[in-house]
Amino acid sequence: MIGPGIKRGTAELAVLSVLEDGPLHGYELARRIEQQTKGALRFTLAALYPMLYRMEQRGWIRGSWETSQQGRRRRCYRLTAAGKTKLSPLRKEWSELFSALRRLTKVSHA
Amino acid sequence: MRNWEAVVERHLNGLALEPAESAEVIAELAAHLAETCEVLCKQGMTEEEAERRTILQVEDWQKLCRLIQAAKTKENNMTNRVKQFWLPSLLTLFLSMGLLMLVQLFGPNPWIITRKSAWSLIAPVAVIYLPWLFSLPLVGAMGAYLSNRAGGSRRAMLSAIVFPVLPYSAFFLVALPVTAIFNDRLGHSIMFLALFVGLLAWVVAPAAALLTGGALVQLFLSRRLDARRIVGG
Repeated sequence: MIGPGIKRGTAELAVLSVLEDGPLHGYELARRIEQQTKGALRFTLAALYPMLYRMEQRGWIRGSWETSQQGRRRRCYRLTAAGKTKLSPLRKEWSELFSALRRLTKVSHA
Repeated sequence: MRNWEAVVERHLNGLALEPAESAEVIAELAAHLAETCEVLCKQGMTEEEAERRTILQVEDWQKLCRLIQAAKTKENNMTNRVKQFWLPSLLTLFLSMGLLMLVQLFGPNPWIITRKSAWSLIAPVAVIYLPWLFSLPLVGAMGAYLSNRAGGSRRAMLSAIVFPVLPYSAFFLVALPVTAIFNDRLGHSIMFLALFVGLLAWVVAPAAALLTGGALVQLFLSRRLDARRIVGG
């Protein structure tokens, strides 16, 4: 199980990565992340929305109200150009971190 | 089915955002809770159990309120801590010090409390500037208003209100006892009386005056919020 500290650091990367595939509303976004990480990353409402609002303030994502076919109004988030720019270095950083950890654990097990 | 907007609105009553922005947040969170509840019902849960599980998603609504407030506030050079605590605190401190100086320079003579005994000639134990004390509720009110406007928590607001008594607390609770312990020329009976009365005159009474103003502002702001909610239906 991944600890809360690592989860906090990866949460923004997870949101940006999932939104790269297309706009989603908060509930669906949390569900997709949970599905794609096989439950390792799980967002409650209390964790998800402050993060989404913060990312929106930074200009990485943009929320807008949309009405679904069932007539339900929901706020959908989409990745902005700034968010796309932020995503690639974030991916690189995390990839480097995981590679380093992998090398380290291999060394310590050798 | 439960009215989730009413539930969220009730729990997020301390959210100090623009009315339109607050309404958006409430609608968005309510939609999320409604969807969660619906999915749980579809999974075979009773409506009651689904609602109970849904509401458990948020353990601490006050914390959520603060986090949303902080996230929604535009990030600029000043951090939220500066706006919610340091700025109101320093303003109340400088204002109370400035007012004290003015009262000392131009105001009436202070009220001097002396011990009614032979010591009275050598040990006036408390000097109280009544006009200063009467002006402190205004200072406390200003601190509370500024902290509240910046979205400060109740703790930040309370700290900002009583911040001006901090130097006096340090003096009476640290400096004076240390002096009493290490200076053997001073009579302990005088020192402890001075400590007690000084604490009352320079810490307890000003803190009470500051808190009175702060509490009045808090009351006014919460009533205004309630009134806005009633008007908004």
